[in-house]
Amino acid sequence: MATTAPESFPVHEDAHHDAHADHKPAFFQRWFMSTNHKDIGTLYLIFSIFAAIIGGGISGIMRFELQEPGIQYLTWWAEFLGNPAGDFDSALHLWNVLITAHGLIMVFFVVMPAMIGGFANWFVPIMIGAPDMAFPRMNNISFWLTFMGFCSLMMSAFMPGGTGMGAGTGWTVYAPLSTTGSPGPAVDFGIFALHLAGAGSIMGAINFITTIFNMRAPGMTLHKMPLFVWSVLVTAFLLLLALPVLAAAITMLLTDRNFQTTFFTPEGGGDPVLYQHLFWFFGHPEVYIMILPGFGIISQIISTFSRKPVFGYLGMAYAMVAIGVVGFIVWAHHMYTVGLSVNEKMYFTAATMVIAVPTGVKIFSWIATMWGGSLRFTSPMIWALGFIFLFTVGGVTGVVLANGSIDDNLHDSYYVVAHFHYVLSLGAVTAMFAGWYYWFPKMFGVWHSEFLSKLQFAIFFVGVNLVFFPMHFLGMNGMSRRYPDYNPAFELWNWVATRGYEIMAISIAVFFANIIYAIVVRKKAEGNYWGEGATTLEWTLSSPPPFHQFETLPVIDDKAGAH
Amino acid sequence: MGIRRAAEYMTGAAIALSVTAGTALAAAATEAAPAVEAATGGYVPMKPTPGIGMPTEGAIGFQQQFSEVGHDGQFMHNWVLMPIITLITVLVLGLLLFVMIRYRAGANPNPSRTSHNTLIEVIWTLVPVLVLVVIAVPSMKLLAKQYETAPKEALTVKVTGYQWYWGYTYPDNGGFEVISNMLPDDEAIANGEPAQLAVDKRMVVPAGEKIRIQTIGADVIHSFAIPSLWYKLDAVPGRINEKVLEIEKPGVYYGQCMELCGVRHGYMPIAIEALPRDKFEQWVLEQPGGSIGDPEENADETAAADAEAEDAAEATDAAEPAETGEAAATAA
Amino acid sequence: MEQSIAPDRRIDNIDEARRRNNRTGFIFLIVAIGMLGMGYAAVPLYRIFCQVTGIDGTTQRASEEQAAAVVAATGQHISVRFDGNVSGGLPWKFKPNQVKQDVVIGEKSLASYHAVNNSARPITGTAVFNVSPTQAGKYFNKIECFCFTEQTLKPGQEVEMPVIYYVDPAILDDPDARDVEQITLSYSFYESPKG
Repeated sequence: MATTAPESFPVHEDAHHDAHADHKPAFFQRWFMSTNHKDIGTLYLIFSIFAAIIGGGISGIMRFELQEPGIQYLTWWAEFLGNPAGDFDSALHLWNVLITAHGLIMVFFVVMPAMIGGFANWFVPIMIGAPDMAFPRMNNISFWLTFMGFCSLMMSAFMPGGTGMGAGTGWTVYAPLSTTGSPGPAVDFGIFALHLAGAGSIMGAINFITTIFNMRAPGMTLHKMPLFVWSVLVTAFLLLLALPVLAAAITMLLTDRNFQTTFFTPEGGGDPVLYQHLFWFFGHPEVYIMILPGFGIISQIISTFSRKPVFGYLGMAYAMVAIGVVGFIVWAHHMYTVGLSVNEKMYFTAATMVIAVPTGVKIFSWIATMWGGSLRFTSPMIWALGFIFLFTVGGVTGVVLANGSIDDNLHDSYYVVAHFHYVLSLGAVTAMFAGWYYWFPKMFGVWHSEFLSKLQFAIFFVGVNLVFFPMHFLGMNGMSRRYPDYNPAFELWNWVATRGYEIMAISIAVFFANIIYAIVVRKKAEGNYWGEGATTLEWTLSSPPPFHQFETLPVIDDKAGAH
Repeated sequence: MGIRRAAEYMTGAAIALSVTAGTALAAAATEAAPAVEAATGGYVPMKPTPGIGMPTEGAIGFQQQFSEVGHDGQFMHNWVLMPIITLITVLVLGLLLFVMIRYRAGANPNPSRTSHNTLIEVIWTLVPVLVLVVIAVPSMKLLAKQYETAPKEALTVKVTGYQWYWGYTYPDNGGFEVISNMLPDDEAIANGEPAQLAVDKRMVVPAGEKIRIQTIGADVIHSFAIPSLWYKLDAVPGRINEKVLEIEKPGVYYGQCMELCGVRHGYMPIAIEALPRDKFEQWVLEQPGGSIGDPEENADETAAADAEAEDAAEATDAAEPAETGEAAATAA
Repeated sequence: MEQSIAPDRRIDNIDEARRRNNRTGFIFLIVAIGMLGMGYAAVPLYRIFCQVTGIDGTTQRASEEQAAAVVAATGQHISVRFDGNVSGGLPWKFKPNQVKQDVVIGEKSLASYHAVNNSARPITGTAVFNVSPTQAGKYFNKIECFCFTEQTLKPGQEVEMPVIYYVDPAILDDPDARDVEQITLSYSFYESPKG
């Protein structure tokens, strides 16, 4: 196990730092030209919360539109956003803009910034005993590129995109709908947003890989790194290998749109299906990019609150590596209905099911970690337990969808929507909240309310399950994705899902109440506030950690590996 | 609303009873069919049976299936996959609850330091592999079955996805194209058809035989999907896709476009009407340029019919999209 | 578990550490750029892959000599269906002159399409094509085809466009493809981008 610090780590270390290292720069310099990994991590977290409000708000508009058949609010919103009054097509176009924006925001501007930009930035250097990231300035550039990407995406919503304002192509931006099918600058701005966010993430990936390879404290071998660091390392490799392919694909889309090239249009012998291959070559690793850091966070939390080292540490680390590797050879399971040959479909069915094996190893190892432990049900632990269950539900429906023969019915139905929201909205987001409450006092030096955190979990758990579980039913009954209107037969479960959304929204209100609580009450947190069981290096520092940590590198003794 | 629904169900039930007898069916349909349709000749659009070939209110499972691959797929899902995934989920949940209770700090104040057990790690790697093999074998078989090709003499229907309607071309029967637009909700309901799913002109095919469906996209990618037939095939511009469809019995089966294709993606439903062979042929002969028999034999006729059919198609082509707009607008 | 602070392990050689980081960072930057290149390379690679494997119904191109060398499978027939499409923007009419042909596997056959330019301007078009079912692509050989080059039609001009093809007898040895009773050859005409 990667446990490194003894329970009785000398506290004088902190004092030593505080004495001379905490020269914080002035406000503007600190927050706008920051080169400090902790400050940049905080910026990412704030940005992610901000983007989540917009992305989640959009899903609210969609959920309320869908609570009954017919078009309820879309025309109003379309008019509100500057489309001509009473134009039905622009209202429908707005629907496509909403589904597109929701997907892109949640993937690129909520989950990725929170997991990689936020938590990984904050804790990877600390957990490996490094003073900062390898390239602090590039770290800053990464953040501001992501931020500008978000601005570009927001701007695209107010640009003409063919039949209305904004890019209505779906987050997958399939050609030729995104090329010949969507005139106007909106799609260009959307693509540009992906370029910026992608460039930021690639830089981030290089930064993490270099940091983890070169800047580990003496004695911190790869096989002693905490699993969260392992998860970020694998994620960084996925980013590094997958995102450039997306960048190439969307650049070709841009030139197809603007410079008469024909990479993906049949006119010049291009093939729209090739775009899908390229997109999903990126897109499938992308879903692991979003969930792997979550796996890492959950491993830390489960171990901490079981007061036990993680069970099967090496198996856990290499299960993530295996998921990452296999993630690159299964992409076409997103394209089962596109006209693949039977052999391709069989291969992708088999390869996809293989992923269930390392994923199973992780689930069972978490349970084995708790087995024989001494479990404390703090708020992060409760979120982590919720994660394991919800992720299992999302995972098993993935096995169903992996079967090309079954996917012939379920492809692009609400079943798929339910599946990926269980692994991402319920999986990754639950892991984010778990990480948030695990490290909140560490990052900000003050306590959140444990009661409110647990209350939030209870409400959130009920809410999201009500939103997404009925979607399995809708999908099997034949409801298609990306539809603003539907046959009345689907009304019941859509109505239930919308009520679930309302409940989930309350849990988000509790989340903000909890932040306000922390700000108002200002209950100071000690260095290792979780006590025994919290053994990684961040618990050897004060809360919040000194502005510059580990000027003197901690040495991890070889004998420490008590796993 | 409730009264109308009830009425719909009653009519549906009445028709369901008569489905087996072809003549009775025709009689029932004629009776209910709007007068306009009667003018075109013998063919009258069949009344759908509620709950058949369309979504069922509040359902939690698949639509009733009317094709062999559908039955197989449903069996595979309901009796192979569902039990396995339910078992796994319950197992994980059970283990979670067990450790939460058994190993809570109050009950177990001193944690063990166990972090390895090679045997159990091997087991939980190998058992899932076995489970997956159990799933994979029938899954592969089913996949292969879905890819069986149509016999030489099978009827071919070419399905073209347009923004935002479907075209059904019958190259073996004179090459006419049926342009299919969505009906506005009020008309659909007046016809006794499900809202959002009804169309003005259906794709008519013979029941009980293999049909070669070929899909192609005219502008962007669409997807030809009918849940009750376990059928989904993308219509990609510039390339033809092919898959067999076999509908077990006469009836109306509804589907929708299932690949985002622009603003009216949600407003291009699919309605397939499967008829006994003789009724199908009757329908074909009523179409402009429709013919039955070997196209080689009546090649001249075909050429003439082609032109005619095409003109007709173009005429409808130009007129229909506007109507879709209306349909969509009324739907709002 | 033991851990100690080693005062002598301060990063005193900052330049050395920085150089090492730059080197690692640079290596992975190259990896990223390489993957970007792979993204572009996928376009020609995908085309070659399809041509070699016949995957996705990509047809093969054969020379006269290759066709002559093929020994026809005696008495084995296969049906070939013809399909023609015109993209929305192209004011042409384009149709096969025959719905289908019954051919001996391995024997050369001629089929033709009829094209008319209905507009008042000369238009150059290119045809894209594939066959279905996809597993037949590997065995469908074209010796001569109007789709090999761009086609220019003057206003009102009508032309017959021939295609000479044969079905490779190897199809009979392929367990995936030997049950195919009918192959559809489909063309879609598009206006050439720089026409």
